[in-house]
Amino acid sequence: MREFLAAELPADWRGVGALDAEAADAFAERWRVTLFEHGFLAPSWPSEYGGAGLTPLEQVVLAEEFARVGVPTGIQNDVFSIVMIGNTLLHWGTEEQKQHFLPRILSGEDRWCQGYSEPGAGSDLAGLSTRAELDGDEWIINGQKIWTSSGHLANWIFVLARTDPDAPAHSGISLLLVPMDQPGVEVRPIRNMSGDSDFNEVFFTDARCPRENVVGEVNGGWKVAMTLLGYERGEAAATLPIMFRTELDRLFALARENGAAEDPVLRDRLADAYVGVEVMRFLGMSSLARFLEGHPPGPDAAVSKLYWSEYHQKVTELALDVLDVESLVVQGRRPTNVTMFQTDDVGAPNDSASWITTAMISRSGTIYAGTSEIQKTIIGEKLLGLPK
Amino acid sequence: MRRNVYDDDHEVFRQAVREFVRREVLPHVDDWAVDKGLPRSFWLAAGRQGLLGLEIPAGYGGSEAGDFRFNAVLMEELAAVNMALPSCVGIHADIVPPYLVHLASPEVRSEWLPRLSTGEAVAAMAMTEPGAGSDLGAVATSAVPDGDHYRINGSKTFITNGHTADLIVVAARTTPDAGPKGLTLFAVPADTPGFGRGRKLDKVGQPESDTAELFFEDVRVPKSYMIGELDRGFMHMMTWLPQERLSAAVTNLAHARQMVDETLRYATERTAFGRPVGAFQANKFLFADIVTRLDVTQAYVDQCVLAHTRGELTPVDAAKAKWWTAQVQNEVLDHCLQLHGGAGYMNEYRIARAWRDARVTRIWAGSNEIMKEIIGRDLGL
Ligand SMILES: Cc1cc2nc3c(=O)[nH]c(=O)nc-3n(C[C@H](O)[C@H](O)[C@H](O)COP(=O)(O)OP(=O)(O)OC[C@H]3O[C@@H](n4cnc5c(N)ncnc54)[C@H](O)[C@@H]3O)c2cc1C
Ligand SMILES: Cc1cc2nc3c(=O)[nH]c(=O)nc-3n(C[C@H](O)[C@H](O)[C@H](O)COP(=O)(O)OP(=O)(O)OC[C@H]3O[C@@H](n4cnc5c(N)ncnc54)[C@H](O)[C@@H]3O)c2cc1C
Repeated sequence: MREFLAAELPADWRGVGALDAEAADAFAERWRVTLFEHGFLAPSWPSEYGGAGLTPLEQVVLAEEFARVGVPTGIQNDVFSIVMIGNTLLHWGTEEQKQHFLPRILSGEDRWCQGYSEPGAGSDLAGLSTRAELDGDEWIINGQKIWTSSGHLANWIFVLARTDPDAPAHSGISLLLVPMDQPGVEVRPIRNMSGDSDFNEVFFTDARCPRENVVGEVNGGWKVAMTLLGYERGEAAATLPIMFRTELDRLFALARENGAAEDPVLRDRLADAYVGVEVMRFLGMSSLARFLEGHPPGPDAAVSKLYWSEYHQKVTELALDVLDVESLVVQGRRPTNVTMFQTDDVGAPNDSASWITTAMISRSGTIYAGTSEIQKTIIGEKLLGLPK
Repeated sequence: MRRNVYDDDHEVFRQAVREFVRREVLPHVDDWAVDKGLPRSFWLAAGRQGLLGLEIPAGYGGSEAGDFRFNAVLMEELAAVNMALPSCVGIHADIVPPYLVHLASPEVRSEWLPRLSTGEAVAAMAMTEPGAGSDLGAVATSAVPDGDHYRINGSKTFITNGHTADLIVVAARTTPDAGPKGLTLFAVPADTPGFGRGRKLDKVGQPESDTAELFFEDVRVPKSYMIGELDRGFMHMMTWLPQERLSAAVTNLAHARQMVDETLRYATERTAFGRPVGAFQANKFLFADIVTRLDVTQAYVDQCVLAHTRGELTPVDAAKAKWWTAQVQNEVLDHCLQLHGGAGYMNEYRIARAWRDARVTRIWAGSNEIMKEIIGRDLGL
């Protein structure tokens, strides 16, 4: 992997964060093509679907090396396309679905987004009310999704919809694959706290998709949805500690530069953050060991999600205190969207804009992909066996 | 818990402020966030309502009552809207006027106080510089005698009302290398040649306030525009800082209280798993914890308000009120945001904006660290 990266990256490469926003976007586009050509876009997928067919251990090595040099990940909705729906199709899809959708994801022709949350159903996902009814060879979909990240950049959406209104909540749901480029699908942007509008509401009014665009069984979507959430929550065990350690090193550098490192109270908290990220590394290693033994991500992913999201809020809060009054005004390069939802890009300048935006983004970490309260409920019920 | 600080006069005034907010503020406040500043029409309306003259004697068109509780009521009601309003109005009506009333020349008083109380002129207070924040002794903006004038050179930053102010109280260095002992206050009219404003700063929160950088290039002000005594500016500021800090405490707490009330409503109406999300015991207990913290904090702040009304509030007690309320406010708003789920992260919800607005309260007007320093020093450490 190091040879590959040395061959493909410029000699003076310092991470995508060292590029300004426009150059970073342009690089990300080119880098996606490079990964695609070498089969590294979806390294775990079998080569017949355009992947690299790497073993789990090899995948981890690749992820670590990519995180270390700071190349962009999750470009063009790939978090939704490859990590979520792609992996889920590999697990549950029919051969026709795999043959059809997987190559189009890798080529960039299909860009996906996630249609789970609704105005009335977030933590309580099974309370969703978007409906789908069969009409001959097509599903007719009506309802509304919300908080759809990157929905405005997508042309496909995987939708959890109620297909049997009379069944108990969890048993009447199906996962449908719906093209967005049709009159029945309308996307409206929502502006979030960090000032970006990556979010959307998606409205379905007699929207259609072919009957065969169901993943898994009709009315069996809950199980499929949970597999997908496992991928959303589980894959990061190896890479998150690397990202967070790189970020923390930047914070140490900042504290040295601006003198905050001389302040004994801040020093205490910096040391605490170091312990936090080291513990995360060991936690990651133990999840990884289980993954390498062939166990799918299980309820212990809740421990990891809870841990990193709360760690990151603490550390970005610390960064604002290190910045002191500089933290009041947004100055410098704002993080790009190429590394979504977590740390700023590797190599990014130590500006207030970088830390302020990252701190705001970290605030959403305890909400999306299952709130902290829900993670604690999972830990209590599934790991500790406490009564429901 | 029933509060025993305010009597009927204050409650009548509270109703008047509420009515003002309903009529003159709520219909426009979203536009002000987009425009990044309060329009003059707001100041004039507040002036007509008598809200800007609480520290200004009647002879200058004000309604000075010598009772800080009216100021506190005003701050509480504005804080129920957002953090920027009490900040901008507080600087103008609560913080700047005492310097003019008690320390300025008759000329400055009669020229400016009437216009401040009508809102025809807006005031700002300029202490902070790029190189001098917590450490005011490092102020570098200089004022040098020049005939019967002083010539001011330098720059200030993070100045609330900076973009619209007509009169700025400026802390400048009159004796080099003397640290805090070489500072003097001046009233600088914004139309003085050489005075300039930088961009409106892109802040984390409070878009309704026009925080700005200010520049002074050979700005000449008459000697009669010196406020207080030469080289005693720091002492003067120390005299009035407790009031600023107490106002901050009152505001922090009222803002948090309002957002908790709104969150409680949200958590009662919002259901998941067939119940209001506030009904899950984890959240119910969290609410219990939050309102207890608010009530206990309120008891302390109310005592400080009473003490200040009697002229007995110590700087140390004001420091305690300021940092503690900032801490409680930030923690409480963070819980409130979490209780909103995904909606809490979206700017169209008030809690998202409130959370961002509140981040600064642990920093401005003396950071939490500086407050603890003051308290620690008082303990003889
Ligand atoms: C940055 C971001 C990106 C997102 N991207 C997407 C996306 O691409 N696609 C998508 O489908 N969704 C997305 N979401 C939505 C996200 O999954 C939901 O916001 C989340 O599941 C919470 O649901 P909710 O907002 O309805 O909150 P609610 O479920 O209404 O929760 C409100 C509060 O109640 C608490 N609560 C709920 N149930 C319990 C319980 N049993 N016990 C104790 N407390 C409880 C919650 O923890 C929370 O504090 C995104 C959200 C964010 C913030
Ligand atoms: C030193 C001592 C002296 C005492 N003297 C007397 C006496 O003179 N006369 C007398 O009548 N009694 C007396 N008591 C008993 C005392 O009142 C009980 O111990 C007390 O009411 C708790 O009841 P419990 O022990 O059955 O605990 P439980 O009710 O079994 O509680 C166990 C735990 O569960 C928690 N819990 C219970 N319900 C809930 C809920 N709805 N939600 C969340 N958590 C919950 C509790 O907070 C506790 O942490 C005494 C106890 C002690 C320790």
